Amino acid sequence: MTMDELERAILELPLEEPPEGLRASILLATAYRPAPAFSFVELATLGALGAVGLWLVVQLILGGGSLFVQTLGTIGSALSHTLSNGAVVAWLAAGGATALWLTLFNGSHPLLVASHRSERSAGR
Amino acid sequence: MRAEPQDGDLVAMTLRGHPEAFATLVERYDRAVYHLAYRTLHDVEEARDVTQEAFFKAFRSLRTFKTGAKFSTWIFAITYHACCDRLSRRKHYSGEELPERADAAPGPEQRVISLDEASRLRAAIDALPEKYRTVVTLFHLQGKQYDEIASVLGLPMGTVKTHLFRAKEQLRRLLSGMEVTE
Repeated sequence: MTMDELERAILELPLEEPPEGLRASILLATAYRPAPAFSFVELATLGALGAVGLWLVVQLILGGGSLFVQTLGTIGSALSHTLSNGAVVAWLAAGGATALWLTLFNGSHPLLVASHRSERSAGR
Repeated sequence: MRAEPQDGDLVAMTLRGHPEAFATLVERYDRAVYHLAYRTLHDVEEARDVTQEAFFKAFRSLRTFKTGAKFSTWIFAITYHACCDRLSRRKHYSGEELPERADAAPGPEQRVISLDEASRLRAAIDALPEKYRTVVTLFHLQGKQYDEIASVLGLPMGTVKTHLFRAKEQLRRLLSGMEVTE
């Protein structure tokens, strides 16, 4: 057998047959790994909100209850006063609609994102 | 007709948030990676574990993959290092030399006789010392890309060529039933 023949014979050797299920187990551990229920940003936001909530509860228990209720009342009345103005509501609606319209072009439309997410989790 | 995406494009797609692109890379290379692991370790279970481990490591450290590099070379290098770890662990636990020829009986010459062509060649490759066997296995997987083989093994290209030449010499002698002296 010449060197060329030997090289050719080596290159033509069939590859070993991998055990059954190997590819599936690799894919499940990598490409099709189930997505976590919450992203890091979502978890951080939830954590921050939880911490603020806990802090408020502690403040209420420590006797700041009346001041807290008074502040909430002030904010509420300011909001209702503002929102009772027709022009403000119209501008808010126009702004919201424009923002929603723009999300159609950059792929971040809330409905599209939600359906993409559910498709991905269903595909796994 | 759409051209198949290149490995580099699939890596980039995975990094851009499309992990399903990595599935194509797995489909392209799982057999070759398993082949390398099995030919190095000679154990189905260990080869299976190393193959899974290699792809998992590659997936986790995909950001470290250099643009322009070959994915096959990268994944083979990860696999080869995982195999080396296993071999050194075996050596540690058994207190023996690395299994250049763990399967002592029957002797390679005896096994080479009365097998068909591919089986004879495979048996002869198995009979090679480990350093030559790995070079031949990578030559089988990567062809004459000596620089890629050298990258996988972390050896100079000259050493790879020398190992391959000596391996082929031994294989020729083995296949023609001659005595092999290392």
